[in-house]
Amino acid sequence: MNTMLTKWTAGAAAALVLTGGAVFAADKTLDIGVSDALTGGAAVYGLPQANAVKMAAAEINAAGGIAVGGDTYMLNVIAYDDKANPTEASNAVRKLIDRDGVKFILGFCCSGATGAVASFIENEDAVMLVGNAAERSITTREIPNLVRTRPPADYTGAAAGTFVADKGHKRVAVLGALDVGFYASYVDAFEVELNKAGGEIISREAFSLKDRDMSPQLTKIREQQPDAILVVGYVEPAAFVYRQAVELGIDVPRYGFTSGSEEQFLRVASSEQMEGVWDLRPTELTLLSASDNGIAYHKNYSDTYGIAPSPSSPYAYDQTYALKDAIEAAGTVDDTQAVAAALRELAVPDEVVMQYLPVDGTMFDVNGQAYTSNGAFQWQSGNWVFVQDLPSDAAAYSAFLSTID
Amino acid sequence: MKPGLKLLVAGAALAFFVALPQLITVKYYLHLSVLALVWVIAAQGQNLIQGYTGYVSIVQAGFMGIGAYSTALMGLHFDLPVWLTILLAPCVTAIFALATGYPSLRVKGHYFAIVTLAFNMVIFIVLMNFHQLTQGEAGITGIPKPGSRDGWINFRDREVYYYFVLIVAVAMTALAWLIVRSRVGQTLMSIRQNEDLVGAIGIAAWKYKLFAFVVSAMFAGLAGALYAHYQSFINPEIFGVAQSLDAILAVIVGGSGTIAGPVIGAFVVVFLPEYLRFADSFRLILYGLLLVLATIFMPRGIVGTLAVVWSKLERRG
Repeated sequence: MNTMLTKWTAGAAAALVLTGGAVFAADKTLDIGVSDALTGGAAVYGLPQANAVKMAAAEINAAGGIAVGGDTYMLNVIAYDDKANPTEASNAVRKLIDRDGVKFILGFCCSGATGAVASFIENEDAVMLVGNAAERSITTREIPNLVRTRPPADYTGAAAGTFVADKGHKRVAVLGALDVGFYASYVDAFEVELNKAGGEIISREAFSLKDRDMSPQLTKIREQQPDAILVVGYVEPAAFVYRQAVELGIDVPRYGFTSGSEEQFLRVASSEQMEGVWDLRPTELTLLSASDNGIAYHKNYSDTYGIAPSPSSPYAYDQTYALKDAIEAAGTVDDTQAVAAALRELAVPDEVVMQYLPVDGTMFDVNGQAYTSNGAFQWQSGNWVFVQDLPSDAAAYSAFLSTID
Repeated sequence: MKPGLKLLVAGAALAFFVALPQLITVKYYLHLSVLALVWVIAAQGQNLIQGYTGYVSIVQAGFMGIGAYSTALMGLHFDLPVWLTILLAPCVTAIFALATGYPSLRVKGHYFAIVTLAFNMVIFIVLMNFHQLTQGEAGITGIPKPGSRDGWINFRDREVYYYFVLIVAVAMTALAWLIVRSRVGQTLMSIRQNEDLVGAIGIAAWKYKLFAFVVSAMFAGLAGALYAHYQSFINPEIFGVAQSLDAILAVIVGGSGTIAGPVIGAFVVVFLPEYLRFADSFRLILYGLLLVLATIFMPRGIVGTLAVVWSKLERRG
């Protein structure tokens, strides 16, 4: 009896040791926060970003978590809606830091809300990873605990201007959300390059996020007989512009800067109305241009959420892997300064979806800014098709960014 | 409620607000309390024109924006001390309020509300599009806090800023109380009851209405300035029509035409949406539903309902 009991006890102890290790590993949880527009007009960008972070976290957990020293951390995502509103974003981030004890905050699709958080994050014991928000000033202050995966809008605007000028267009009419800072900066950089080639912007017509009838602006543009039109703005109003341009018989090349997916455009315009439209933007996710990582991301996202990912959503997915590598390199989940410093030294992780252009071998430059290549995408038979790279000198732009106060 | 008891309740409320930072264990709630106190100032202003004068103004957030941008721009461009720009911000707002109030107050009722709504939209559009001055949607960052980093009071500390805003909020609430108790305040309430009768006995009602509108705007301008220096960032998004509706809600939910009402209402407007975050995307639906129910079942607001309950208890006792 005693022998039997001893065997059972020894077996139970061995089982405890074996399973105990697993229990301890599973017990270590690292909360990461997401502040993004989960509702409202900007949710077309914010919600896919939040989904992308959750998906990346699930993948990391499934692959064994984040190894720090002898510990393994499983990620737990806490996501709050900031409605792309500065006050809401401040409240959401304060809640994440102060109440939930989160030290790593991701997401941030929109510039106004991001700017509000960026204004105080330097004083917090936290690291902020910005995604789709494209306003340049977010990374001009060299905030040590802030990095951004998306390049600023004017970096892409300059490349777009060169591309359109190379197409031989001299008179370009602009229609866009010009009261939004980063769209305006895209157009300004576009104009500089267009002017260099002897072209000019003949008119700047504006629409707001909630506008749906663009016929007054388009009628005016039609009378000016431009060589091409440039549309900059959120997906839905931009889709209305493309649709109504066709309805008004405007038969000139249409260029844009929208980063919308096929599904998002097809909610408003037909594929025939979209045919031939160019989107000049960072080389974001489109199925036909994607790398193996991009194809896998597209499939996993579609399977998980039952909808195709938006082209800009991988900015948030890539943040999560960058954070994982930085934590592992720093060897700590508590010392945010060490993790922030590790992010600045980080090589581009293998798992990322976007095609980053490292500066001095690192994913983020001294400003905390990452750069992707820029690309010309054209709508062909219902899909965004990658046609060619746009000129993208990340090192030169990085040096320029460092000169801005 | 007897005056002595009212004083006792006010004293207890003040003691509670003074002790609040010590009671709060999570600093996030201190952050919300600072925002709520800023809204107390704006709502007290709103109450003067809406609650006591009977004119629903939908431009309070616009005036907060003017105050916020005034203090930020005066500091950035003229290098004026923060204390001075905070004091000047309500004055700048008053000038705008005079210019907008004079034509607005020529109409009454719904028309007045619509005209002020239009002014808020104009302010928003100007803030959004006057890039050279306001930096548009990108906003203004790095707005300094009062005092220096090495000063004997560190306003970068949230608790210190809380007490600073609390002092201002108490002072502005006291000022609102003094106005209401004065002859001017009595005239404002007379206008709310019967403006034609006020005119018939020889009182120039428009002067009093303009006074209420301008003072209300000055409260908002001061609130905007305090907000700007607390957040260190402003952009036009914060000063839109939706936020003006929040100011109206704060007055209605708290208790229109009472001094305590805007205090309670401001805390409800700031804290309730945050408490409802657990509801995710249903948060705003739930928020709206709660406010609709509160308005239906408590038309006199929280303070009014409590007063009714209290008087019933007194009669029974």
